Amino acid sequence: MASPHNADRQTLFTRAASPTARLMLYGLLAIVLMAMDFRGQYVERIRNAASLLAVPVYKLIEMPFRFGGWMDEQITSRATLVRQNRQLSESLMAMQAQLQKLNESRAENQRLRDLLGAGQQSQEGFLYAELLSIDLDPFSHRVMISGGPERGIFVGQPVIDAYGVVGQVEAVLPGTARVRLISDANHALPVQIGRTGLRSIVYGSGDTQILVLPTLPFNADVQAGDLLFTSGLGDRFPAGYPVGEIMSVQRDPGQTFARAYARPTASLDRGREVLLLTGSTASESPVSAVDDDQ
Amino acid sequence: MSRRPTPSRRRWTYALLIASVLLLTLMPLPAGIEPFRPYWVALLLVYWSLEAPRPVPLGLAFLIGLVLDVLTVSLMGQHALSLVIMLYLVGRFRSRIRFFSHWRQALAILALLLNDRVVLLWGLLLAGVRDFGWAYWVAPFVGALIWPWLFVLLDQAVRPLWRRRP
Repeated sequence: MASPHNADRQTLFTRAASPTARLMLYGLLAIVLMAMDFRGQYVERIRNAASLLAVPVYKLIEMPFRFGGWMDEQITSRATLVRQNRQLSESLMAMQAQLQKLNESRAENQRLRDLLGAGQQSQEGFLYAELLSIDLDPFSHRVMISGGPERGIFVGQPVIDAYGVVGQVEAVLPGTARVRLISDANHALPVQIGRTGLRSIVYGSGDTQILVLPTLPFNADVQAGDLLFTSGLGDRFPAGYPVGEIMSVQRDPGQTFARAYARPTASLDRGREVLLLTGSTASESPVSAVDDDQ
Repeated sequence: MSRRPTPSRRRWTYALLIASVLLLTLMPLPAGIEPFRPYWVALLLVYWSLEAPRPVPLGLAFLIGLVLDVLTVSLMGQHALSLVIMLYLVGRFRSRIRFFSHWRQALAILALLLNDRVVLLWGLLLAGVRDFGWAYWVAPFVGALIWPWLFVLLDQAVRPLWRRRP
């Protein structure tokens, strides 16, 4: 603590220059950090270590909302529950009826694959997880989900919801995990167009409603309404999960490639429950080259 | 009642204030109003810088910014840069802003918050975000509107701690 006497002894110049010098120092430090975080892996490690300390904060913030949800469940009326139960049983019946057919075609498919000598098709298991009631930076395109390493969640694990691919696990923390959404501008996902089988890579755009396919061949057969599925290339996501629907295709003669825009089928910004894929195709490996870099 | 605040009481108030702005920052809001969330941490630190016996040191602002970056998973250093620049400006014009009326102060805050959005823009553009939406520019206005009330509220909570220093 500088006493007033000390303060008076300072010259005019040091007093005037000091805050500006500090601004320069800290500003430069922050910019270097941002550049390093954007380019390299070092800051990611620091962030993951620091995130361990963030977990209690998340739990604390989530507590009132979790409690609210619990209260809500407690006071739901019996009639509502009975009605919901009936609806769910009905939809389960319908689903099971559809599954019967699917099982048959799966067996048939496998027989045909055997005839062709193609490999075994992998079957995935699911792990249920809930999104934490935490709003991260809206531009970060990350979400926190419940469940950590103790439930078998690992880095790079594919995350889907009822409608399509959501993203992949980026960091596993005690009791929680961070998921990078496919809409993140630095996320890339190998896909296949359902109608034609054309393979491409879909990138996030920084907007939860838009995905981009910037590297389509000019004469590619792509049109609005085409569905995108994971192609299984890249060994991260198993093949065949819906990713998005093509909204528009741009063929600008000045460009090398045609660009297409797609809308993700998963509800990236509204969903509250997700499924994590566990299975043979989803292999344990750190988030790195293939899906992380453009 | 003893009016002289004890150091422990001061520490508790500070901790509680920081915890509550973090809560307000991370707490889930309905998707429609989420983009309008004011920059709570900045509002608290600006108040602090204006009214405390001495302004918030830039090093502390930098650290709080880093904490915020870790918590909200934004580009590391983004909020640190934003808070450092903001508190530098507040420190620069402190003696003037302090004597503004609440609504003129709110205008100054608006200018600070808008400037801050421009600063944040660098980081976001670096991170590859291209489309911000109009709500991005509306959040500062929400912050400025909240300022007079926040000021009065914080005055009740914090000012007694600073009035008589031992």
